[in-house]
Amino acid sequence: MRRDLVCSAVLLCIAALYYLAATGIQVSTLEDEIGPRGLPTVLAALLAMVAIVIGVRALIAAPAGVGAAKEAEAHWLRSLGMLAIGALYIPVATVLGYWPALALLLVAVPLYERMKPSWRMFAVAAGGATFFWLLFDVVLGVRQPEGMIF
Amino acid sequence: MDQFTHALTMLVTTPVVPAAIGGLIWGMLGGAMPGLSASITMALLLPFTYTLAPMPAIVMLATCYIGAEYGGSIPAILIRTPGTNAAAATVLDGYEMNRQGRAGEALGISLWSGVVGGLFGLTMLILLTEPLSRLALLFKPTTYFGLGILGLSVIASLSSKSLLKGLAAAILGLMIATIGTDPISGVSRFTFGVPDLLDGIAPLFIMVGLYAVTELMTRTGVASNIIKPNASIRVRLPRFPMMKRIARSQAIGCTVGTFEGLMPGAGGTIASFIAYNEAKRWSKHPEKFGHGSEEGVAGPEAANNTVASASLIPLLSFGIPASNSGAVLLGGLLIHGLLPGPRLFEQNADVITGLYAGSFIADIAQVVIGILVLPLCIWLVNRPKPYRSAFIFALVMSGVFTVHMSLFDVGIVLSSGLLGYFMKYFSLPFLPAVLGVVLGVHLIESNYRRSLVLSGGDFHIFLEDPIAIAFFVLAAIIMIGSLVNEWRAAQAQRASLA
Repeated sequence: MRRDLVCSAVLLCIAALYYLAATGIQVSTLEDEIGPRGLPTVLAALLAMVAIVIGVRALIAAPAGVGAAKEAEAHWLRSLGMLAIGALYIPVATVLGYWPALALLLVAVPLYERMKPSWRMFAVAAGGATFFWLLFDVVLGVRQPEGMIF
Repeated sequence: MDQFTHALTMLVTTPVVPAAIGGLIWGMLGGAMPGLSASITMALLLPFTYTLAPMPAIVMLATCYIGAEYGGSIPAILIRTPGTNAAAATVLDGYEMNRQGRAGEALGISLWSGVVGGLFGLTMLILLTEPLSRLALLFKPTTYFGLGILGLSVIASLSSKSLLKGLAAAILGLMIATIGTDPISGVSRFTFGVPDLLDGIAPLFIMVGLYAVTELMTRTGVASNIIKPNASIRVRLPRFPMMKRIARSQAIGCTVGTFEGLMPGAGGTIASFIAYNEAKRWSKHPEKFGHGSEEGVAGPEAANNTVASASLIPLLSFGIPASNSGAVLLGGLLIHGLLPGPRLFEQNADVITGLYAGSFIADIAQVVIGILVLPLCIWLVNRPKPYRSAFIFALVMSGVFTVHMSLFDVGIVLSSGLLGYFMKYFSLPFLPAVLGVVLGVHLIESNYRRSLVLSGGDFHIFLEDPIAIAFFVLAAIIMIGSLVNEWRAAQAQRASLA
């Protein structure tokens, strides 16, 4: 119930922010009857309505019984950590280049997954980064990010 | 006959064969890895198809789906962990057969049933798709708008236990679709001065983020309880008496798979469980089900492989995907500027013929490829989970960059992963959101606005199109039915708690 209430509040916030952004869409002389703001305004109103109904239903619904067993999932902070590793790849690739950034990613993820550091892990990362570099840059001929250093 | 000769010529003169085999192998390897569903496997392949010509790209995606359905049954049989959701029913008897020392036989039955189901589904696809797509010649902008609304309502109703959450997800998808330059007035919307957003957000990035990155985020640090399979297991294809014994179960699987493939939101998982139950009901030995029955493997496997082809029927005819994997394939079509419907058959006949020829090759070749790839699948399943996650992440980062050679796109994919994480947390289904992104501007908004331009702003134009009215009424019936079902379920829960 609590999760649905939070969901309702988050969706309401999204609807409000989206509506505010939609009001900022500039007016065009080429506009048709609906205009570029037409659909966004309708979507914001619809999302707000759905969010309110989800919230009301969460308030009046019976407390949840024993549901089906859910798959094991990571704690939200740990999940965000995984995303942060991915986000770090962007500046690292911009500075160091593709191969080093990918090798670091291939070391960082197993370490984050609680694997003990070993020479094997670093060898797999180096081998993996070389494999991807060969696959993209050499075999497929598709350029990967060029860093300031490599 | 001409089309048959054309298809044969195509096999030699175009890259259909390597694309079909490549997609099949990719699908089998991805499907075999627990945690990677068929749609994630296809989403990971999507960036690579961006640089290919339309025909091999679509063939690769379609055959990847076929491969993933067989791949999913490998860990289901060997380690009691279905590689894809659709392989969950295969665990029931497949793993029992493995425990009895008959893993090779179970894998052989799964492979053979996949071939039978795949060929049956392909026949249905060839027979039904073009005639159905001819219906779309009657469609006007109002009808397409009605179709888009119907598609979204059906998916929102069926892909989640809650219609409201399905609708919320669909609206979020539509909101993402509005980012970029307005197709009619040319005004930029929600770009906040960022030039990379002027062309909008490609559905491909949303799919990779929602399916692949979200999975990496939710499963990080979660212990893998996978039992290591024996690397010496080899596939044993069924002999003629066994083929005869499982034929009834396969026929049931093919029939169920065709119906479920045609229904939006149903997909391979439901089809395989219905096929299992029906195969048991019609079997001469129902008591063997759950204790290592060959028919218990054949029925679900034939069903989910039939779905892989049959689900393309509504997708190619009307542009409405029946499942997550169908949505990814629709994304692939749109990337290459291919709009589903009758014009696809007229203007891009080569793509369709290639798709049929490629699927046929993949269905036949999976007997050999399935045997050859099995040791590699077992090797992959035996790799430590941290390495698997790291390599999938590396593949996402590298593959996404190749699309526009832009790290901004990598950021979009990671943001979609974050969105997917919160959607999962709040039990908002992914499929309506993906469909909203894919159908948003090109089907729903542009046809809505085109209709009103044609009528000079008069909304009565929607009431003058009988097919559009039928779609709206159907959408309303489905949504009301879904709400009634939810209300009944809530009442039943309340009664059980009282």
